[in-house]
Amino acid sequence: MRQPPKTMIAKDAIKAWQLRAAIMTILFIAVTIGAFILAYLEFISIWIAYAILAITIIDAILEIFIIPKLRWRRWRYEVFEQEIYIQRGIIVMKRTLVPMIRVQHVDTKQGPILKKYGLASLTISTAATTHEIPALLEEEAADLRDQISELARVDQDDV
Amino acid sequence: MMSNPKRLHPTAMIFKMLEMIKDSIIGLLPLAVLILRDGFFGYIFYIVIGIVALMITSSIIYWLRFTYEVTDDEIRIEQGLFIRKKRYISKNRIQSIDLTQSVIHRIFGLTKVQIETAGSDRDVDASLSSVQMVEGERIHDELKSTNGVENDEEELDNFDFHPDPKREVTTKRLVIAGSTSGSLGVLLGLFGFLFSQMESILPESFYDEMFAFFLSLAINVIVILVIVVVLVLYLLGILGTVIKYGKFTITRYENELFITRGLLEKKQMTIPLKRIQAVGITESIIRQPFGFCTVYVEIAGGEVQEGSGTKTLLFPILKKTEVKSFLDDILPEYAHIPENMNPAPKRALPYYLVRALFIPVIALIATFIFIPEWYIIPVIVFILGAILGYLNYRAVGYHLDEELNELTLSYRRIGKETVLLKHRRIQSITKSKHIIQRKQNLASIHVSLLNNFGGRHIFINELNLKDIHKITDWYSLR
Repeated sequence: MRQPPKTMIAKDAIKAWQLRAAIMTILFIAVTIGAFILAYLEFISIWIAYAILAITIIDAILEIFIIPKLRWRRWRYEVFEQEIYIQRGIIVMKRTLVPMIRVQHVDTKQGPILKKYGLASLTISTAATTHEIPALLEEEAADLRDQISELARVDQDDV
Repeated sequence: MMSNPKRLHPTAMIFKMLEMIKDSIIGLLPLAVLILRDGFFGYIFYIVIGIVALMITSSIIYWLRFTYEVTDDEIRIEQGLFIRKKRYISKNRIQSIDLTQSVIHRIFGLTKVQIETAGSDRDVDASLSSVQMVEGERIHDELKSTNGVENDEEELDNFDFHPDPKREVTTKRLVIAGSTSGSLGVLLGLFGFLFSQMESILPESFYDEMFAFFLSLAINVIVILVIVVVLVLYLLGILGTVIKYGKFTITRYENELFITRGLLEKKQMTIPLKRIQAVGITESIIRQPFGFCTVYVEIAGGEVQEGSGTKTLLFPILKKTEVKSFLDDILPEYAHIPENMNPAPKRALPYYLVRALFIPVIALIATFIFIPEWYIIPVIVFILGAILGYLNYRAVGYHLDEELNELTLSYRRIGKETVLLKHRRIQSITKSKHIIQRKQNLASIHVSLLNNFGGRHIFINELNLKDIHKITDWYSLR
């Protein structure tokens, strides 16, 4: 039985995801208000507006209060000399193995939300797939990127 | 061995024209429809004349400005009127040179030369759309000469050597391939489309007359007519296959596979062995009962073939029992087809049934609510779905050969697929399971490999957890 990967991602990931979800919720609220206005003007049935409201509330609760924590708890990774091991997924748990020699390039990325919390995401690309580690501390992400690109610098016999 | 920049054969202009027409056909279609209607004809006529003139001019310019030159160590291609594009491809970067002839090429004794490099980027490759056959062969020989993989000469005078293994398809087999190809459906669709457009194309009085005549026929005459039409379409489908894959020959050289095919259009294809990512065997649902299958390879980079997706056929049709000896000859690196696969456990069956029956059940419920008198159709769909689900479950399996470092996976979507994979060709493996699966000791696996279009992803659902662990442990480099 293979052990799960050891390293967890940055705890602030939860905050970043919550902020992102909150922004999305604002958009949803705008849509809901729009729906009620349309319903008031009798373009659509009031029930559609209620349905949208319900979806907005449920989505906000799930995305802000429940999912980020679960997601963070499940997210793990570990970088070995020869391969990268990633675990993720709340309902369906996925574990991915990427051999170092298959890695084509690594990127770090930082959007405004991640920047606010001093985080960055790391993307590992093979010739056929990409794998993302979503939230690492900035310097950690940079170090990991350099480490992986160093380790991946093996002679590629093919492709 | 010096040569000056050369132009293509003048027929290159025709090919350029055809290419432009092909590229713009979707944009031009509404125009064509407008022409068929009256009224607009006057304007449209001038527009069409304008477009044609533009195409002719640009083809001529293309031909005038396109030159190529084979030097000692590279091929140089220059083209373009205002923006001069120069592409120099050095000989040892060239992976394959293929000579392909369309019908027009064959009439004039010409050939198209396609030069492929290792990248999967199509723009890196070069193609000379039309040169004399002799010239094409000369280019081929010259570019190959320092390439290290000269095989063509070796085979002639090495009496001691075995001749290069070679397989050719027989016409009888091609007829079988054509009659089980399932192209009838496509042709029927096409025919139906043309038929429905008849009204707008034919003159009205003629159409009415024909329709009245058709209706006046006795029912059995109509039935016979329909059968005849279907039969003719079916035969056309077979003919299409025979023409497309006629004289299909695959030859194994030391470092590459070489395929030629086509009765009217002659196509050549070179597959360098090191680009092969996986070998697959497809048994379509029509062919499987007769024991026939096709063998293909996934290759990294290169041209995406029309019609067959990303898969490159190694042989258009084979008996399942012949695959082993075929691979032994042509591709011994992959000739280890396991006798029996490790199946999915019994407790995985419900998942397969649920997946296959999900949509039929919804359809069934909806039918019962809204149009109960039509219940028979979703019931049939439900039964077919159940059978398919069970077949999917039966088809799933894996085989791991740790000595050869090979993984074989089999599964069914509609047709059954068997894929032979090598450890070093797998890009990544993902194992996944959800809560219920975890309780039942089941897990799914997702294997990614490279091909010439993004990548191929193979999902094998619900295997025994310990089997999955065996695979991931084998794949892991720790």
